[in-house]
Amino acid sequence: MSSFDDISQMFHFEYDKLVNLINSASTQSDLSLHDIVETYYQIMNMSSMITMLKQQLGSNDHKSLFGEIIESEKLISEKFNHIIHPQILQNLEKSIQETTKNLQSNSSEQKSKEEIESDAKLYEELRKKMSTKEFVEQYGKELSDD
Amino acid sequence: MIEDLAKNLIHLKKNFVNTYDGKSQIQEVIPQSTSDLFPIPQQNLELLHQFATMNPIYYNSFKETVGGTVCIVYEGDINKYWLNSIQYGTSHAPFSPTWMMSAYVAVLLSKEIGFQEIIDIGSGDGRIAFCAKVLNLESYSIEIDDMLVKLQNQLTTPLNFHPYCSDATTFDYSSLNLSNPVFFIGGLAQMGGVELASGVFEKVKLISNLKNIGWVFAGTYSQKYSADPKNHAGWGTLIDKNNLKSIQTIALPTAWTFHESDETPYIFTQSFD
Repeated sequence: MSSFDDISQMFHFEYDKLVNLINSASTQSDLSLHDIVETYYQIMNMSSMITMLKQQLGSNDHKSLFGEIIESEKLISEKFNHIIHPQILQNLEKSIQETTKNLQSNSSEQKSKEEIESDAKLYEELRKKMSTKEFVEQYGKELSDD
Repeated sequence: MIEDLAKNLIHLKKNFVNTYDGKSQIQEVIPQSTSDLFPIPQQNLELLHQFATMNPIYYNSFKETVGGTVCIVYEGDINKYWLNSIQYGTSHAPFSPTWMMSAYVAVLLSKEIGFQEIIDIGSGDGRIAFCAKVLNLESYSIEIDDMLVKLQNQLTTPLNFHPYCSDATTFDYSSLNLSNPVFFIGGLAQMGGVELASGVFEKVKLISNLKNIGWVFAGTYSQKYSADPKNHAGWGTLIDKNNLKSIQTIALPTAWTFHESDETPYIFTQSFD
């Protein structure tokens, strides 16, 4: 893909995807871990594309694409980084605390083989939440380093 | 003989992985009786079974013939210990045990090299220190997590392997009156092991009369972890920096490599000051 039209079309497609993911993230407080990771990957993907395209395009060239790039930047910076990202992190922290508390409250009970193996799924879920939180925190760290 | 024992154990593990259809978080096998493949004194095997049977991390066991060897399968769960370690942030690496048989083989090799005392650092449930006692070596088990030390104290009835609840990087090793020790460092290099080992080195260096100290590291070649530029399964830089000589590396099954094709390389080294 090398022609300007192709690039413009691809950016537009990715921009729409970003808008949908951000809308969904801003309206749902219980985003799945999969959706969280997908949203962050899309943010990172778009940020890389924006950096690359801004180096190649002047503000007077291809005004419509340039306008969409500026819109995307604004969406990421103002809406995602300042509002949605802290919310996602807060929700993850709360969810981890709740799951941890639930597991701790029943960890001393004598359990059957079936109960232990069923609980193991909750522990696995907790590990996934913690790993997603680390991923989200890393994004925040990179933001503050910039 | 020890190398053959390790190879036979790996073969047994691979056979077990192919047939195991349970759902437990951790699982391992111990041969029921001495055999040509596992020429371990019967009384020692019985002590390993006793440790596993008494150990509350295992909630189920059953007999199964694996690749022609009659074994007892132990199924366990260590989630609550993991939860405790993350809650207090006390552990350098979460508890995940080596296999009982692997602990036995690693201690057997230590004994053959000539070490007389085993100090298990980040000892988890204390199985390496326990195996040292099975093989008539002196042993000490240093663990920072109080919940795990409580567990170890439940397992010292047949053989006291001396559990200590302490931060290994501040422990006073001179109090143990060591003469010819080998230190087993718990945890992979990439999971806080280097930091832990470096702290222990500093403390042990303070004991002036100790020479030719052994150090055993659990390594990994997994691409999940960053490789060390000087290799040795993640430990090369530390080995080089501390002027350790590599004696032997032996691969053995562990809980964390159960689903992987590569076993855990145990790197035996020695300091020559």
